[in-house]
Amino acid sequence: MTQSTVQPTTKRFTFRTFVLLLIPIILLAGVIALFLYTGGGLRLDSPAPVENLDVEKYILKHNNIDLYIRNTGPEELTIASVIINEAVMPFEVMPSPTISRLGRAQIHVNYAWTQGEAYGITIFTSNSIPFSVDIPVAFETPQPSGRTFWGFTLIGLYVGVIPVFLGIFWFPALRQLGRRTMTFLMAATAGLLIFLGLDTIAEALEVAAKVPSAFQGIGLIGIGAVATFLLLDAISKSQTEIKGSESERRLAIALMIAIGIGFHNLGEGLAIGAAYNVGEIALGTFLVVGFIIQNITEGLGIIAPVLRDRPTIGRLALMGLIGGGPAIIGAWIGGYTPSPFLAVLFLAIGAGAIFEVVYEITKLIQKDTARESMPMIVFSGVLTGMLLLWVTGLLIK
Amino acid sequence: MKPLSRRDFLKVGGLAFLGTAGATALTQQTKHDHVHENNSNEHASHTMQQGDHGDLPGTVGEVDHEKNGFNPSDTLTDFDYGEVSTLPNGQTLREYKIVALNKNIEVIPGIEFPAWTYNGRIPGPTLRATEGDRIRINFSNGSNHPHSMHFHGFHPGEMDGVPGTGPGGLVEPGGNFMYEFDAEPFGLHLYHCHVFPLARHIAKGLYGTFIVDPKEGRPPVDQELIMMMNGIDVDFDDANDFYAVNGIPFHYQNHPIQIRVGEKIRIYLVNILEFDLINSFHLHANFFNYYPTGTSLTPSEFTDTIIQGQAQRGILEFTYKYPGMYMFHAHVTEFAELGWNGMFEVMA
Repeated sequence: MTQSTVQPTTKRFTFRTFVLLLIPIILLAGVIALFLYTGGGLRLDSPAPVENLDVEKYILKHNNIDLYIRNTGPEELTIASVIINEAVMPFEVMPSPTISRLGRAQIHVNYAWTQGEAYGITIFTSNSIPFSVDIPVAFETPQPSGRTFWGFTLIGLYVGVIPVFLGIFWFPALRQLGRRTMTFLMAATAGLLIFLGLDTIAEALEVAAKVPSAFQGIGLIGIGAVATFLLLDAISKSQTEIKGSESERRLAIALMIAIGIGFHNLGEGLAIGAAYNVGEIALGTFLVVGFIIQNITEGLGIIAPVLRDRPTIGRLALMGLIGGGPAIIGAWIGGYTPSPFLAVLFLAIGAGAIFEVVYEITKLIQKDTARESMPMIVFSGVLTGMLLLWVTGLLIK
Repeated sequence: MKPLSRRDFLKVGGLAFLGTAGATALTQQTKHDHVHENNSNEHASHTMQQGDHGDLPGTVGEVDHEKNGFNPSDTLTDFDYGEVSTLPNGQTLREYKIVALNKNIEVIPGIEFPAWTYNGRIPGPTLRATEGDRIRINFSNGSNHPHSMHFHGFHPGEMDGVPGTGPGGLVEPGGNFMYEFDAEPFGLHLYHCHVFPLARHIAKGLYGTFIVDPKEGRPPVDQELIMMMNGIDVDFDDANDFYAVNGIPFHYQNHPIQIRVGEKIRIYLVNILEFDLINSFHLHANFFNYYPTGTSLTPSEFTDTIIQGQAQRGILEFTYKYPGMYMFHAHVTEFAELGWNGMFEVMA
């Protein structure tokens, strides 16, 4: 073209830059190839085979036990024997007894198990390495159908939706309070959320232990939590640029609290659904009551920032749904396809969201305290919030 | 005490009864699904179904007997009388060659056990002689561990095959030793390695049966069978993972031993099980005469179940009255379901 203005001062991405970038990568490929070919002078052959196997879930049906397994070891392995309660059992592996790295398979055994009894299963690989899975209480694994669907919906309703809405019902009463009390409530909410966030991290760490090592559960928690925190922070900053109104901003924070609690409840629903499915828990009356008492504080947290405003009932209901509803979705997913991976991810997202919300609330409180100094109210509020969850926990456990 | 999380608080509920509508709905659903499942069973792939009661314990497929170098069906009747000659003093001489070898034995289809063997098989060869015969065993160690042969029976101390008793007590890799003694007393005996750690040397497969017949012989029978009861600890945790007779779990369940109605059967039964305290033998739909250690020609018991501790042995004699399939197995039933189970197919 006729354009002739060359800008030598601006750095441009040229072919030369591209080649320079590529050189280390080419060298790396060379080193890896050399290493694979010669072993690099190290004796890398393991004297004993290193194998790892995870039983991701089991499904019990009439006279059938199905184990869903994943090879989480460094190399392929072959299933050679299945022993159930000290009896060698004939079995089938689909698609193949030889499973590639990170590959999955299904072991099928025709076994006349008995309702309510415990079973210990040992799987031997061809290298004589045993892997065990325990079925603490045997019962028919619920299959997706209208009624189980409703069952898991009820679980989600009890542990998520109902408590959150019960908390929201405090709205009319709390509206009558003065400014200092409202600041106290905000601080209490921050305290609640800090406690909840810590608890969520602890749960995520606990579930992370069940995630196959190749998927690095702890790293997953970091990614989920940090990414969520920064993303919500970015969203909230871009919102403040558009809308200056403080009440809009408070509503946005309430919404974010709802989202954060929603993610937390999603993770919790996943874990409960999964635990229910493997018979680790039975939801007793006492347990559900305990849940309602403890999670009612979540609803309180959602409404705290908007107490001095007039959000519509529809808005409040929407926030309640956002905060509590995911427990139902979590129970469905966890109940039908339990996945520690997803549970960790959502718990981590929940933790990130909760801590970001704490950060937002802190900013709101700072605005209040800028007008009028009330250090003891912030202190006592945060502490009250944390103690509230701690004490309800004490009563329940 | 570790701090409790909300998850723990869920677990506590495991002790509580199913109290909520949700849980009740799920329980009811279970029953509902159960019925549904029975109806839809046809299209499921159940190749090994045993009626409506699941499969029986057992293995599917066959170990590679050829590669193993022995087949338990042959071991049953494989008596090694040695190379026979007569010494100048008129005594019968029986010479045997035994080599200790490391060998991978496929014990369960797909699982190879890195065994230590006599002559490449588990159990080692069944050595058989008559009371008073001169026994010479040319033992060489072709493995990479020191081994020995310790016989049960009368013999001089230096022939005992125990470390500290001379060159025969511990034969280094590549070395050899001639064990020499007179076969006595008559009865059913055994031999095994006695190098330490003893439990591991035995559990890895270094054992075999040693039969000394009385001079006048035992009353004739139609079939004589050898059964050496052993365990297999494939993962070396000093606990048996599988149990067997003559080396391979479930072999005689998958390949019933064929006999006939009215035939006199004699079983030379030896227990070489490591790690577990006792083993047993139970015969279905029948009773047997039992001769503990085979050292008397008069039975001590008429029974259908006997118990043996490690290295205990005895001779069983019986006859079936009716044709059919009859189980024999350890009445330590856990062992039976882990491999120590077999069948007699009694034909008319």
